[in-house]
Amino acid sequence: MLLRSFAVQGSWNYRTLIGTGLAFVLVPALRHVYRDDPARLRQAVGRHAELFNAHPYLAALAAGAIARLEADGVPPETVARFKAAVRGSLGSMGDRLVWLMWRPACALLMVALLLAGAGWWIAAAAFLVAYNALHLWMRAWGLDAGWREGLQVARTLREAPFERLGERAGDAGAVLSGFSAVLAVGWGGDHGWPYAVLGLAALAAGIALGPRIRWVAAAALTALLAAGVVLPNNP
Amino acid sequence: MIPELPTLLLLGLLGGLLALDATAVGQFMLSRPLIAAGLAGMLAGNPEGGIVVGVLLEAIHLAVLPVGAARYPEAGPAAVAAAGAFAGAPASSQVALLVSVVFMLGCGWLGGRSVEWMRRTNARTAVPPEGPVDAGTVERLHLRAIGLDFVRGAVVTLAGLLVLGTILETLGWIPFRQQWTRPALALCAAAALASSLRLFGRRRMPLFAAGAAAGVLLLWLR
Repeated sequence: MLLRSFAVQGSWNYRTLIGTGLAFVLVPALRHVYRDDPARLRQAVGRHAELFNAHPYLAALAAGAIARLEADGVPPETVARFKAAVRGSLGSMGDRLVWLMWRPACALLMVALLLAGAGWWIAAAAFLVAYNALHLWMRAWGLDAGWREGLQVARTLREAPFERLGERAGDAGAVLSGFSAVLAVGWGGDHGWPYAVLGLAALAAGIALGPRIRWVAAAALTALLAAGVVLPNNP
Repeated sequence: MIPELPTLLLLGLLGGLLALDATAVGQFMLSRPLIAAGLAGMLAGNPEGGIVVGVLLEAIHLAVLPVGAARYPEAGPAAVAAAGAFAGAPASSQVALLVSVVFMLGCGWLGGRSVEWMRRTNARTAVPPEGPVDAGTVERLHLRAIGLDFVRGAVVTLAGLLVLGTILETLGWIPFRQQWTRPALALCAAAALASSLRLFGRRRMPLFAAGAAAGVLLLWLR
C-alpha cells in the first residue's frame, strides 16, 4: 500500500478526483480482508472508487485508516461518513504545510545556494533531501498512524507537529526569499546605482504583486524581446 | 536548436517521466524547473545552459500552487523543452536565453491546459461504473491513466523542443540588442523570488529584510 500511495493521483479526474486512485491504493488490503468473499471484495472496491480527495501525501493516512476499518468489519455507512469527514482536513492541512510553506522554502534554499555560488548538484541535492525528508515521513507516518488509530486518527492529526513545522518553514522561507532576491539582482551584473534602484523597485513590485508577478514578468520579457528586435541599432 | 534524434528521444522520455512526477506518480519534485532544466541540459550536452534557464524558470514558478482543481502551468516538460533547445545555442546568446524563457512560460501554460484535457478524459475513461467492480478493473483503469499522462508529457516536451529549436535556429540572422537582456531577466527573477514572501505572509517582512541584508553583504564581499 505504501508503494501504491505514491501513485494515488495517477488517475486524477474532475468526477471522482482521486477516488480511483484511493481504490487502487486500497486493493492489496481489500484483497487480504475479503480473500474468501469475491462479491464483498467487488462491493468494497466499488465503494472506495467513489469521490474522494486529500493532499496526496496525507491520502496515505486515510488509506491506512480505511484499511483498518475494513479489517475490523466496520459498517460501510460508517466508513463512508469517516471518508467524508476527513477529506477536507487532509486536503487543507497538507496544502498549507507542503504546497504553501515547505516546498517554496526548500525551493528557495536550492535557488539561494545556487546564486550564492554552490554547484548545481549541491543545490539540487539539498532541495531533494530536505523536501523529501518531510514528504516520505508524511507518507510512511500517515499510513502507519491511520492503520493504528482507525476512527481515532483525527486525534493523531491534531497532535501532529504540522502547524509548528509550517511556521518554521515559513520563517526560513522568508529569510531565503530576501536573500535569493538580492542575489538575483546581483546576477544581472554591476550597472551602478540606477540598476540598484531598479533592483529595489523589482523587489517591492514582487512583494506588492505576489503570485501575479508571473504574468507581469511574462509580459515584460515579451515586450523586451519585441523591443530588442525592433530597436536593435539604437544606442 | 533542435537536438539530434537520440537526444530528442531521451529528452521526450525525460519530459514524460517528469510530467508523471509532477502529479501522477511520486511527487519527489524532480519536476521542479531547476532540476528538470539541469537534467535536460546534461542530456543535451550543456549543463550550464540548462541551469541558467532552470534558475530563471524556478524563480518565476516559485509561487505556483498545485492545489486541488486549480488551473496552473506545468513546469517540468516545459523546462525540459526550454533547456534542451537552449543547450545548442551559443553560450553568449542572451537573445536565445530570453526567447527560451518566454517560450517556456507559454509552453508551461499549454502544458497546464493539456493537464486539464487529461483530467476531463480521465473522468470518462478512468472512473469505473458505480456499484461493485473488480479490483483488476480499477488497477487497469488507473495504470492506463498514468500511461496517458506519460505520453501527454512526452508529446508536450517534444512539441516544445521542435518549435523552440526551430525558433532558435532562425535567431542567428535576426539583429538583436543584447545588452538589456541579462539585467532584465535578473530583475524579473528577483521580483518573482521576492513575491514568494506573500506565500509566507507579509508579517514576516523583518525576516525577509534580514535575508536581503545578508544578500547585500555577500554581494559586497564578492
